[in-house]
Amino acid sequence: MTVRAGAQTLVDDVTLEVRPGAFLGLLGPNGAGKSTLLRTIYRMIPPDAGVVRLNGEDAWRRSSAWVAQHVGAVIQDMPAEFPLTVRDVVAMGRSAHKALLEPDTPHDTALIDAAIALQQLGAFQHRAFRTLSGGERQRALLARALVQQPQILVLDEPTNHLDIRYQLSLLRFVREIGVTVIAALHDLNLAAMFCDRLCLMDRGRVVALGTPEDVLTPARLGDVYGVHATIQRHPRTDTVWVLPG
Amino acid sequence: MVHWLSGGWLVTPDWREAHEIIIVQTRIPRVILAGVVGAGLGVSGMVIQAIVRNPLAGPSILGVSSGAATGAVIVMRFGLVALGAFTLHIAAFLGGLAALSIVFWIARTGGQMTPTRLVLAGIAMSAVLSAVTSLLVLTSPDPQLAARVLFWTLGGFGSAQWRLLPIPVIALIIGLAIMLVQARRLNLLMAGDESAVALGLDVERFRRGMFVLTAALTGITVAVSGVIGFVGLIMPHIVRLLVGADHRRALPAVALLGASFTIAADLVARSIIAPLELPVGIVTALVGGPFFIWLLRRDARSLGVVK
Repeated sequence: MTVRAGAQTLVDDVTLEVRPGAFLGLLGPNGAGKSTLLRTIYRMIPPDAGVVRLNGEDAWRRSSAWVAQHVGAVIQDMPAEFPLTVRDVVAMGRSAHKALLEPDTPHDTALIDAAIALQQLGAFQHRAFRTLSGGERQRALLARALVQQPQILVLDEPTNHLDIRYQLSLLRFVREIGVTVIAALHDLNLAAMFCDRLCLMDRGRVVALGTPEDVLTPARLGDVYGVHATIQRHPRTDTVWVLPG
Repeated sequence: MVHWLSGGWLVTPDWREAHEIIIVQTRIPRVILAGVVGAGLGVSGMVIQAIVRNPLAGPSILGVSSGAATGAVIVMRFGLVALGAFTLHIAAFLGGLAALSIVFWIARTGGQMTPTRLVLAGIAMSAVLSAVTSLLVLTSPDPQLAARVLFWTLGGFGSAQWRLLPIPVIALIIGLAIMLVQARRLNLLMAGDESAVALGLDVERFRRGMFVLTAALTGITVAVSGVIGFVGLIMPHIVRLLVGADHRRALPAVALLGASFTIAADLVARSIIAPLELPVGIVTALVGGPFFIWLLRRDARSLGVVK
């Protein structure tokens, strides 16, 4: 797949396959094309060449609503202009599953309640979304993606705004609910800890694709990020552990 | 009323025929028109605020009102009567539609129709049209024209008659019905364009459709009543404070509140200095403006002005 914007090539001839239930982490410096790649999946930016296949179907030949029934996205797009409650925001996730004029069924209400409870938002579900902290907003947006009942979760920098406790609990949570996850991440150690496979990108191209052990090597991190790094194993989890310097 | 509805059977008239004519021929259609216009402005305002994702937008932001005013002033200035008794209304509607088409065209040139482009195009269009209107008035040989134009642009329901009602009533019913059917999607617009796409909405197309719908409704409203300010801006805010931002609840509520407010404002407008009438736009702005300022000062956050 290739995505261009004017004369610039944002994603340059990238081929990626994610198996159902796997957790793929996209790594790379700012501007590497991670977000652009994700945007082609939730149907925000069309690829200039190539296709996005979901369950074997071309996502760009189906409707936005069809894609939203299969893909839930957590992106950095915070509604702040209107006094929406947290529950209003979460309930929006059901929209793609509803016919026009169809009211919320007990099934919808149950899904919304469950997502709110899972993300520990019960106490402020009737508060205005914009009065929440960054971390609380992030959890509300994850709850919104969950009520879409997606097969694939797309996460763009999901651990931004989160303290370390919620970073860990969010990534652990999405890994354990059994959906396919594609996440753009900045934190190499968190990526190594939770992802089955990593894709390291630089200037629109895939530099390395494989297990954390394969991808995170001192030479590659030197090439892509321009930093010296020592690679060790985490003493307790035995995952790859990147020490800058 | 009972007498009238029962065909004269239930209640024996004990009033003069003149009173009956005034009530049946003038007062009742006037109240209906005020209600329809208030409801139309309220729902248009609410939908436009969602389309341009800006709580400070109102129906006039798209240039429809100033276009309608220009159309009306052309008719008054040159004394056109080509289209019969409703020439003024038709010209106002066409003026609004023309202004809107241009705004639409500007906002779409060179790519996507974003909220910011829409608002900027509307503001630029309004500025140009206001200048044209002023020019037409100032160069007119008729010294009374300025007063008549001012009176018209401030809005009123003095021209209400039964035969003027069908078009605005039908427009309101159809417009509100479509908006209610699309209420879930309107909610998605409030989440931001990228989120709305991710949640399954074809944002470009939907925004275009809603833009045309609200513009037509605003155009018809302005054509029958002149430019009535503040109803379309303020009513949506009050309703969101009362019932929340979910359009499935907020749209019917803003229709009711807009209608009630405008009917009340019209009552004040025609009785406060009776037998003279104030343009109803003065009343709505005099009540609405300070109320809006009070809202802003009391709770800037709820209006989205402060993040």
